[in-house]
Amino acid sequence: MIWTIHILNGVAYGMLLFLIAAGLSLIYGLMKILNLTHGSFYLFGGYIGLTVMQKTGSFVLALLVAAVAIGLIGAAIERLFLRRFHLDELPQTLLTFGFLFIFSDLALWLWGGDPLMLDTPHFFERSVPLGEYAYPLYRLFLIAVGSVIAGGLWWFQEHTRLGTMLRAGVDDAEIARALGINVSVLFTLVFAAGAALASFGGVLAAPELSLYPGADFDTLILAFVVIIVGGLGSLRGALAGALLVGILDDLGKAFFPQFALFTVFVPMAVILVVRPTGLFGRR
Amino acid sequence: MTLRNETDSGARRARVEGRVGARRHALGAIATAAGAAVVTLALIVPALPAPDAGPIKIGVLVPLTGNFAAPGQQTLAGLKIYFDGIGNKAGGHPLELIVEDTQGNPEVAVTKTRKLVERDGVQVLTGIVSSAVALAVSDYSRTNQVPLVLSGDAATDELTMPGKLANPYLVRLTENSRTPSAVAADFAYKTKGWRTATVITSDYVAGVDLAFAFAQRFCQLGGKVTQAQYPPLDTGDYGPYLTNLDRTANAMVVFTPGAAGLKLGRQFAEFGLKGKLPELDLFGTLTYESYLPQLGDAALGAYSALIYTPYLNTALNKSFVAEFRKRTGNQATNEGPSGWTGAHAIADAIDAVKGDLSDKTKFMGALRTAKFDTPKGSISLDKDGMVVQSMYIREVQKVGAELGNVPIATYHDIGQYWPYSETEFQSFAHTYNDSKDKLTDCAWLLAKK
Repeated sequence: MIWTIHILNGVAYGMLLFLIAAGLSLIYGLMKILNLTHGSFYLFGGYIGLTVMQKTGSFVLALLVAAVAIGLIGAAIERLFLRRFHLDELPQTLLTFGFLFIFSDLALWLWGGDPLMLDTPHFFERSVPLGEYAYPLYRLFLIAVGSVIAGGLWWFQEHTRLGTMLRAGVDDAEIARALGINVSVLFTLVFAAGAALASFGGVLAAPELSLYPGADFDTLILAFVVIIVGGLGSLRGALAGALLVGILDDLGKAFFPQFALFTVFVPMAVILVVRPTGLFGRR
Repeated sequence: MTLRNETDSGARRARVEGRVGARRHALGAIATAAGAAVVTLALIVPALPAPDAGPIKIGVLVPLTGNFAAPGQQTLAGLKIYFDGIGNKAGGHPLELIVEDTQGNPEVAVTKTRKLVERDGVQVLTGIVSSAVALAVSDYSRTNQVPLVLSGDAATDELTMPGKLANPYLVRLTENSRTPSAVAADFAYKTKGWRTATVITSDYVAGVDLAFAFAQRFCQLGGKVTQAQYPPLDTGDYGPYLTNLDRTANAMVVFTPGAAGLKLGRQFAEFGLKGKLPELDLFGTLTYESYLPQLGDAALGAYSALIYTPYLNTALNKSFVAEFRKRTGNQATNEGPSGWTGAHAIADAIDAVKGDLSDKTKFMGALRTAKFDTPKGSISLDKDGMVVQSMYIREVQKVGAELGNVPIATYHDIGQYWPYSETEFQSFAHTYNDSKDKLTDCAWLLAKK
C-alpha cells in the first residue's frame, strides 16, 4: 500500500510538472524560444488566482481568470517583443530572462515577500482512506485534471486542423509558411496557450506548494529538467518526462533521503548520457 | 532621532523598493539608481544637531526584502517602538537610526556594514535576522571593534559561546537555536508524557542544531527519537516524508521555517495525520504568527517552544502588542520584542556611558549589565553576552476570530546552556555537526568526552 501512495504522490506531482513543462516544450518546439519567463507565468498565475479566490471564493473562476490574464500577457510579450528577434536565440533568451526578473520584482511588490497559500477548494479538503493510510482527495483531483488536459492536448494536436498546422510548424516552419499556414498567428496562439497552461499549473499547485518569491526560479528549473528528460518540443515527451521526474523524485526522497537534494538531477544526468535528445526528442 | 530620519520614511520606502530590483541581478540597476537618487535627495535635507551634542548614530541591519523580509520588518518595528518611546534620545544625545537592507545575504550585509561604519560613522550595529549574516557581520565587528547588538534572530549557538566564533564586541538579546529545543524536549517528556518522537527538520545548519538539541535532551530524560527526516529547505512536496512518517511515534517534532512550514503544515493535515500525531514545533516556525491565518485550522493544537507569545498577560506586553498592531497592522512575532529589547539595551548602555562611546570596553561592559523587563519577560545577560530569559510553550488556539499561539507553560531563567551547566554542556563528546544520521542513537547523543 505504501508503494501505491508513493506512486500516486509522484504522479500528482508529475501532473503539475507536466502543466508547466508542456507549454515550455511546445514553445521551444515551434519557435525555438527558450522561454525563461515561463517561471513567471507560473508564479503570476498562482498569485492572480489567489487574489481572485480571496475576492470571490471561487476556485474555478481563479483558474479561468489566471489563465486568460496570463494568456494575454504571454501574447503581448510574443507580439511586442520576441517577434522582433525571430530565430535570434540569444537576444530572445535574454529578453525572456529580463522579463523573468521584472515579473519577479513586480510580484514581490504586489504580493509581498511572505509565502502565500491558496485555500484548497472546500470540496477537496478531505482525504480518502487507502488501506491503513489516508490520501488527500485534492491530489487525486490533480491527477484527474492533468490527465484530462494531457488527453485534450493530444487530441487537439492529432485531430484538429490547428493541431496539424502546429505539427507542421514544429517540423519545418518555412515549408509550413510556404504552404499557406499563417505561422505568425500560430506563434502567438501557442505562446499564449503555453503561458495559460503554466498559470493553470500555478493556481493548481498553490494549495500544495505555496507561492513565494523565488518559486518562479525553482519551478523553471524543474520544468527544464522535465523537458530535457522528455525531449524538447514533444508533448508526449513532456508528459513522460514529468511523470518520470515526479515519481523518481518521490521514490528518491522516500528511500534515499540523503540524496534528496538531487533526486531530480540524477535521472536527468543519466538520460542525457544514454539519450542526449531526451526520451522522445528528435535529431 | 534627527529631522533626517523623521522625514525620510517615504524615502526609505522608495529606497527599499529600489533595492528589491537589485536583488540578484543587473536589470534591477535602473530601479536601484532611481531609489538611490531619492536617497541622495533625502541626504541633502540637513540634519540639525547641536554642535556639542551631536547625534549618536545606530546602524540597523535588517532584511527588508527576500526570504527574511517578514522577520526583518518585525525587528525594525520593535526597535523603533522603543526608540520612539524614549523620544529618540539617550545619554544626552539625540539618536539617529540608519537602516540598511541586508537582503538576508551575508555579502550584501558586509558591504552595508562597511558603508554604515566607514561612511555614515555609526557607533553601534543592531538588527540581523539570518545566522549567516550574523556570522559575517560579527567578524567585521570583532576586527574593527564595533559593538554589535543582535536584536532580530541570529540564533547560531556558537556566537555567544567561548570558542572560535566568540566576539567580545557582541551581545545577543534574541535567542539561540538549542534552548527552545531543549525546553520542547522537557515539555514533551514531562508534561505530555511522550516517550517517542519522529523528527522532520529542514536540512540546513539551524535545523540540524535544533533537532540534535531536542534529541539529546529527550534521550537524557528517557525518551527516544525513532526517526529523523531532513527534507531540503525548498522541498515542495512533503508527500514522501509524510508517507514514510513513523505513525507509531507519540508525536511529530518539526523545524521548518518560512514557506516550508506552511507546506508541511497544510500537507500534514491533508494526509489525514491531524489528530493522529500531535505536532511539536521546535522554534515556532510552522506556527509563525505571520503565517497562521493561512494555515487555518490545520494549525490548531500545534505546540511550539519559543521566547515569546503575543498573548503574554503583562501590561508591558499588552501595550507593546497594541502599539505594534497600530504601526504595522500585524500580530507581533518574537522578532518585534527582541528588537525592542535590543533598543532598550543600547539606550541604557548609552546612558551609562553618558553618550561617550569612544571607550569600547566601557560601553560593552555597560551593555552586558542589561537587566530589565521586556514584552517577552524579564531579561539579563550572562558573562558571554547572551540573554537569559523566559521560554514559553505555546499551543495554537482560536482566540476570538483568529488563531494564536496561546502560552500554556513558562520556563523561567533559561540561559544558553540550559538545562546544563557550561562545563556539563562542554563535556558531551558530540555536537550537532555530525549528528544527522545519529539522531536515533541515544548512546551516541549522550556520550561524554
